[in-house]
Amino acid sequence: MSVELLNFFETFLNGLMAGVMYSLVALGFVLIFKASGIFNFAQGVMALFAALTLVGFMTGQVPFSHLINAIFGTELHNWGAGLPAFLAILLTMVVMVALAFLIEKLVLKHLVNQEPIILFMATIGLAYFLEGLGDLMWGSDVKTLDVGLPSGGSFWWEDVTKTWAAQGAEYYGMYIDLLDVSAALIAVVLVIALSLFSQYTATGRALRAVADDHQAALSVGISLRRIWVIVWSIAGFVALVAGIMWGSKSGVQFSLSLIALKALPVLILGGFTSIPGAIVGGLIIGVGEKLAEAYIGPMVGGAIENWFAYVLALAFLLFRPQGLFGDRIIERI
Amino acid sequence: MNMHDITVKHGQELRMTRPDDGIRRGDPLLVVDNISLSFGGVKAITDISFDILKGEIRAIIGPNGAGKTSMLNVINGFYHPQEGTITFRGEKRSKMRTHEAANQGIARTFQNIALFKGMSVLDNIMTGRITLMNRNMAWQALWRGPAEREEIEHRQAVEHIIDFLEIEHIRKTPVGRLPYGLQKRVELGRALAAEPALLLLDEPMAGMNLEEKEDMSRYILDVNQQFGTTIALIEHDMGVVMDLSDRVVVLDYGRKIGDGTPDEVRGNQDVIDAYLGVSHDE
Repeated sequence: MSVELLNFFETFLNGLMAGVMYSLVALGFVLIFKASGIFNFAQGVMALFAALTLVGFMTGQVPFSHLINAIFGTELHNWGAGLPAFLAILLTMVVMVALAFLIEKLVLKHLVNQEPIILFMATIGLAYFLEGLGDLMWGSDVKTLDVGLPSGGSFWWEDVTKTWAAQGAEYYGMYIDLLDVSAALIAVVLVIALSLFSQYTATGRALRAVADDHQAALSVGISLRRIWVIVWSIAGFVALVAGIMWGSKSGVQFSLSLIALKALPVLILGGFTSIPGAIVGGLIIGVGEKLAEAYIGPMVGGAIENWFAYVLALAFLLFRPQGLFGDRIIERI
Repeated sequence: MNMHDITVKHGQELRMTRPDDGIRRGDPLLVVDNISLSFGGVKAITDISFDILKGEIRAIIGPNGAGKTSMLNVINGFYHPQEGTITFRGEKRSKMRTHEAANQGIARTFQNIALFKGMSVLDNIMTGRITLMNRNMAWQALWRGPAEREEIEHRQAVEHIIDFLEIEHIRKTPVGRLPYGLQKRVELGRALAAEPALLLLDEPMAGMNLEEKEDMSRYILDVNQQFGTTIALIEHDMGVVMDLSDRVVVLDYGRKIGDGTPDEVRGNQDVIDAYLGVSHDE
């Protein structure tokens, strides 16, 4: 194979990996949107909050330590050596479930039957609240997160691909980040587990029922509020996974909440109501970005990775507003 | 769990697994007392009282906009009446959420079919049994032990319903792809799956051809006779109503204008006026 072709493959592969990360965030949006018709602006912040909490548990930080120290004049910072990753992840999940419960109790319950735009506004409020809460609880400094996932380039892959180049060509193998690979694997497991759960369990059936028809779901005895708590918990779980991945990759910092914005073009591409759509949309955006950067970038001075996804989404809005997999919008007039 | 246990538990037919409420056949199962319901300034129901006896088929009829569907919505908790009380199985009920009504054993079908269109017939009917399932999510997530046993047990009951309604051939078909008549039947199946104490049917035969109507009538009678299920139904086809029902309540403009056996109602002057229209300036 020629070096150009190999370079193309490498870009493509890295695009796929980056795409998986986008898909993870988009997945959280789709879950909530399907079950309750709410576009959850806070999904990105939920990922940030989960990552912050996880780091806090792992490093043994005292929550609200700045606040406590300021009021009582104490010097609290750490309560110990911290927890092992597994335990910390479990505890963070408990926090995310509690959060889902509170969101239902304090926000959603009071907004039943309101216009979608009002619920959307509520989630914007929620996003800012969570961001502030995360800051207050764990501080705003950039933290590193290491839950023991492998990272760095794969030498094995480099060695394997080195031999693919034509004889005598100057080629040193493909680069692939092990962290990206583990993220991809985890995402695959997550999606399979979620679809099995929704296909083959009674609660999964109830989730699908609510997503399909609220009124009918009520009439067979499904409690919408219970389902919402479950859905937000699952979204919290997905946020936690996304938070771990992004946090391990680029550190836990407040700009993490902005990845939510990258999920928007993914959703427009994949459709707001489709889980496979979120996956495929994420992959297309990831690959598209990387390829565009590598091949179109040099012509226009580079750095098109930042806006390419949005242009792609715009083009999609013109020709297929429901996305690749979204429900067709048919309206009787 | 071996299959033997299941057969023993369910026998060859469906059986009521809800706790016995001690109400005997012929005693009031549901009592509606002076119910009034309005939306803003619009009065949908004015001071209506009637009862439904255990084991009977009770029809609710009336011209369009008479408040029939509103009445069903009040009974299964979609609407909360401003005045009046509802007593179900001897228990007076205050504001009740819909899923609580379902938990008490009220199941219903809708005028404009409210099925889960993207789900298979089997899944749709399985959702009907949600109130009878009680394994928690943790078990379900493991998909072993109690949750699996429970799922098999309920699946068995659902298969009986599918047999009963003769829809075996479409078991795995997504409901949205079925013709209207079959969708109506699946919706009945979902309501039956809850093994309801009271079954509310909102125009089960609307838009059906003669053959489909006959089938549906047969199912309704069978449900009533084989399982002893109490049924309240809204229907516009007078022939069907008169044939099927034990007693009829007639509404017009949100008021009750007649109540009694089909024959009594047929002879009631108010009812005749409401249906045929009468000039008030004689």
